[in-house]
Amino acid sequence: MKILKKIALALLAVFVVIQFIQPAHNKSDGISATDISGVVNIPDSVRVLLKNACYDCHSNNTDYPWYVNVQPMGWLMAKHIKDGKAQLNFNEFGSYSARRQQSKLKSIASQVSDGEMPLSSYTWMHKNARLNEQEKALIIKWAQQSKDSLSAKN
Amino acid sequence: MRQDEAINRIINKNKKMKSIILGIAIAASTLAACNNSNNSSPESKTAAKDTDKTNLANTVSIKEIVSGYLQVKNAFTNDNTNGAATAGTFLETTIKNFDKSALTAAQKKIFEDVEDDAREHAEHIGANGGNIAHQREHFEMLSKDIYDLVKSFGNNGQTLYKDFCPMYNDNKGAFWISETKEIKNPYLGNAMPTCGTIKEELK
Repeated sequence: MKILKKIALALLAVFVVIQFIQPAHNKSDGISATDISGVVNIPDSVRVLLKNACYDCHSNNTDYPWYVNVQPMGWLMAKHIKDGKAQLNFNEFGSYSARRQQSKLKSIASQVSDGEMPLSSYTWMHKNARLNEQEKALIIKWAQQSKDSLSAKN
Repeated sequence: MRQDEAINRIINKNKKMKSIILGIAIAASTLAACNNSNNSSPESKTAAKDTDKTNLANTVSIKEIVSGYLQVKNAFTNDNTNGAATAGTFLETTIKNFDKSALTAAQKKIFEDVEDDAREHAEHIGANGGNIAHQREHFEMLSKDIYDLVKSFGNNGQTLYKDFCPMYNDNKGAFWISETKEIKNPYLGNAMPTCGTIKEELK
């Protein structure tokens, strides 16, 4: 019993100490010059869906839930956001090569169509980010049309 | 008596805390498992180190990129998802180490347009061993990159073929580049090995 108590206290101490290590938040003001809206047209109906279902990890602005302040959840989120932005950042879409922009749009369509994105572990906690079939179809159609418009341009 | 009660309360509290910590740990590992690029990163890192050495000895040419692509393609014709992953990682390194210093300004522009895109597709093929459908999505885009490279740079006299499979991706169809006249379909693999036709001969 004494040992268990010591272990529990040690864990508690670790838990308390790690609360002081807070990662920097993913926040920025205004629309960046390289935002996707400068490359392709995004209707409002699609913009809302992207904002709710994608932007937390794929833009420079995350809408944080309260538990970001509880570690290690905040660290985990920081890692997901870093990885997500490295793959695709809607705010930096304009900095990609024309070829890569088309690849990204194609991947957006296929990831949503395959149900790979948004991640199920994410939608589990974020009801707002869940996409129904109609909403998925809207994103897929937008991504495909945008890709076609870019390939016609280049 | 009172003291005992207080101790019990603390122990109970600690137990609760422990289960919270455990819960968080489980949630953390579940979330981490979803991140597939993580799973294979140590592997790709070691593979990258090995190829670094070989590439130092040989001058990289477009032919090496094409041959890296063909290895990926040949793994897909056998539905070999892990083979494709290994070949994809190798191709990623080959593209990364390509020596651009010998290129003319015009060539450099063409190469750099393809470079980032092709490298990313190779990386995803490398990181997604076990998910062949996803690997093949990237392979389709990679094939376009390689085609454009070969069109601009040639392939040191080796004849290549642009083959087209009309059935892949819900009958939208997709093409690939092959070194053989015989059709071996990398998109449908063993399910439909001979589906496709030669669309173009690249010399």
